[in-house]
Amino acid sequence: MNEIILSMNGIDKSFPGVHALDHVSFDVRKGEVHALMGENGAGKSTLMKVLTGIYTKDSGTIAYEGRDICYQSPREAQEAGIVIVHQELNMMGHLTVAQNIFIGREWKKGLLIDDARMNEEARKLFQLLKIDIDPKETMSELTVGKQQMCEIAKAISHEAKIIVFDEPTAALTDAEIEQLFRIIRDLRAKQYGIVYISHRMDEIKQITDRVTVMRDGQTVGTMVTSECSKDDIVHMMVGRVIFEQPKTKSHVPPDAEVVLRVEHLCAGRMVRDVSFELRRGEILGFSGLMGAGRTETARALFGADPRESGAIYVEGHKVNIHSPQDAVRAGIGYLSEDRKRFGVVLKKNVTENSTLASLKAYVNPVGVINSAEERKITEKMVKALKTKTPSVDRMVMDLSGGNQQKVVLAKWLISNSKILIFDEPTRGIDVGAKQEIYELMNRLVQEGKSIIMISSEMPEIFRMSDRIVVMCEGKKTAEFDVSDATQEKVMNAATREIAV
Amino acid sequence: MKAALQRFKGLPFVRLIGFNRVVLILIIFLMYGFFTVLTPLLRNGSSFVNYNRVLSAFNYAYFIGFLGLGVTFVIATGGIDFSIGAVMFCSALISGYCLTKFHLPLWLCICISVCVGAAFGSIGGYFVAFRHLPSFITSLALMLVAKGVGSIFTKTQSVTWPSSDPATSWYRDLVKWNGFPVGFVILIVIAALCAFLLYRTKAGRYMLCIGSNREAVRLSGVDTRRWEMLAYVMSGTLAGVAAIFYVGAYTTVQPGLGDTFNNEAIAACVMGGTSMAGGSASILGTVIGAIIVALMQEGILAMGFTISYQYVLTGLIVLGAVTADIISRKRKN
Repeated sequence: MNEIILSMNGIDKSFPGVHALDHVSFDVRKGEVHALMGENGAGKSTLMKVLTGIYTKDSGTIAYEGRDICYQSPREAQEAGIVIVHQELNMMGHLTVAQNIFIGREWKKGLLIDDARMNEEARKLFQLLKIDIDPKETMSELTVGKQQMCEIAKAISHEAKIIVFDEPTAALTDAEIEQLFRIIRDLRAKQYGIVYISHRMDEIKQITDRVTVMRDGQTVGTMVTSECSKDDIVHMMVGRVIFEQPKTKSHVPPDAEVVLRVEHLCAGRMVRDVSFELRRGEILGFSGLMGAGRTETARALFGADPRESGAIYVEGHKVNIHSPQDAVRAGIGYLSEDRKRFGVVLKKNVTENSTLASLKAYVNPVGVINSAEERKITEKMVKALKTKTPSVDRMVMDLSGGNQQKVVLAKWLISNSKILIFDEPTRGIDVGAKQEIYELMNRLVQEGKSIIMISSEMPEIFRMSDRIVVMCEGKKTAEFDVSDATQEKVMNAATREIAV
Repeated sequence: MKAALQRFKGLPFVRLIGFNRVVLILIIFLMYGFFTVLTPLLRNGSSFVNYNRVLSAFNYAYFIGFLGLGVTFVIATGGIDFSIGAVMFCSALISGYCLTKFHLPLWLCICISVCVGAAFGSIGGYFVAFRHLPSFITSLALMLVAKGVGSIFTKTQSVTWPSSDPATSWYRDLVKWNGFPVGFVILIVIAALCAFLLYRTKAGRYMLCIGSNREAVRLSGVDTRRWEMLAYVMSGTLAGVAAIFYVGAYTTVQPGLGDTFNNEAIAACVMGGTSMAGGSASILGTVIGAIIVALMQEGILAMGFTISYQYVLTGLIVLGAVTADIISRKRKN
């Protein structure tokens, strides 16, 4: 075994209301690829942000090359040799490859930038990595894979000793992945310490030496990759006890009317040939990891983003949805995962937000708003949903997350939506309010509404859904009745590698 | 002191029109006092206290007021319109030319003026709302177009109208009738209509919501493009109305000018409490802002300074008002 170059011990980090890291320990040896795995929100990114100084830890120690460190900024970490290759590349498309690699530390010839020298140095780097990229090429002309290699070259040029790859293969083709793996193996042979964050189980088996699994802000365990199976890893990722009572069987009779049928929906890279059905009174859970294409599916269905193909049937009739307007007319309501951006108008009051989707019903023929009626229906909704607000004239900005969510829900109930899409319904909502939202959803389906619920939280999926659709990389990979589903089955489908 | 201020802010009247507007009204009186004291000192023997001065300031306030009302809608949606000054002149030139050269009836010429403004507003609104061009660029481009079209239409000649012909003399009564500022009444009536549109109708609700969070409005199933375009149409139309009052007050319109007035209108708007970030707008504030701008112009001329000082002051007011807006929004968050 090689010597340990980095060891993080007992790292603790809290945000208001969230214990993001709970005494996490993690180490990296020279010349190894160490996988870091876990569900969304397990704490992987937070841990890496603590390491590179984006967040400061509350307690714990980080030892790097035998010294205790505590970086204040990513730049400091970079200078010390710890570099992250991000999932989203931070490159300036209009500059050349060499200019990107050496940005902020250009060689100068007098007052001018010495491009020739930079190109030469970049060429040397690429030779070292055995990659064929012209340093004079404009960055935006390169494929995503090649851009990523430039990031790696940039990391090496910083004399990095530890390179963190954050889901590096998400946007790559198979051939590019092969090349990336060759580079990573080269780096390993050259005694770099490598952290590899990925959801793709097959890659983990292929490229990593050890794997550490995190769950709910804690490290579950570290294993030698060759000594554990894929099932072991999945089990560690999901092996939490679900405290809330999960549904054991669907509450919807199998012959219930199909209110929504989506056939072969395609929209961009993230929605590829998705088909499913939603029955009256059903909660259909959409599970999957971040970036699986669930939100994109919902947005395409709702007409928020253009779709390339696919047919949508509401209550048996084909509907043409080209804009949210069409969707609302068809009786669909969408509660976004990002309430503040896509759900509420923060600087307007509860009434104005509640009637936003149905204002037509509260105006006279020349368009004058009937404020009394508008107020009455809003107050009725506030009472029915138990929204905590001093009055309906209060700005939505002043309400808590859970109550904002209720305002968005009120908007769709007032507009008489039959199909509600809840995208991460309890994100950013505290525990008590969460419970209330769940109860509301159950009440809604009892009243004959139908719900699509997108959730990244496994307990939520199991607690609420009658059926579960699992997506991975833009495709539907599985569909279970809740009575047949297990966390392992769902996680397997969510991490399934799809042949390109 | 603080308690007294709180109590003052709690008065029904103050709550109704907003504390900022009350401050602005006080500023008008302060400015008036300031000019009254300074004018005789700077220009020997000359006096500021004079009914004609008030009427002259009103003349200026009318067209700045109408321009400001229009651009208030655009700013409410989170956009900006720099074309209104030039559009106003273009409307005035075309309608004036129609009257003096084609001898069309006066009422028709007035309609033409409004229609020309509405046409420019529609074009701008189309490009901003349906083609997603930045309003800044779109309106600058239309400013050039309006300037050019006005000059081309009149063959680069200034137009003076209406003539003293008794058939068209009623036109000037629209602005001033026997020394009574009729224009002011019309300004208030139109401002009231604008306020009604903005605060009490679906269109106004949508415009304000769009300025606050366009995407949330779109995702509520609202065709945001239509309502955003309507804001520009309002802006253009009111520029056409402004043209009527500009001509009624000053009678002569020269081609190639007019584009300095947008800044004064925008200054009136932001001074009045309409946020450049969009989402909140004060019609009353814009009217008061227009009066302040007009009074300032009158005062500067009365004290013997050139109009260039007016530009400097207007620029500084815009900087100051927008800074104040940003600070107050930061404090709220």
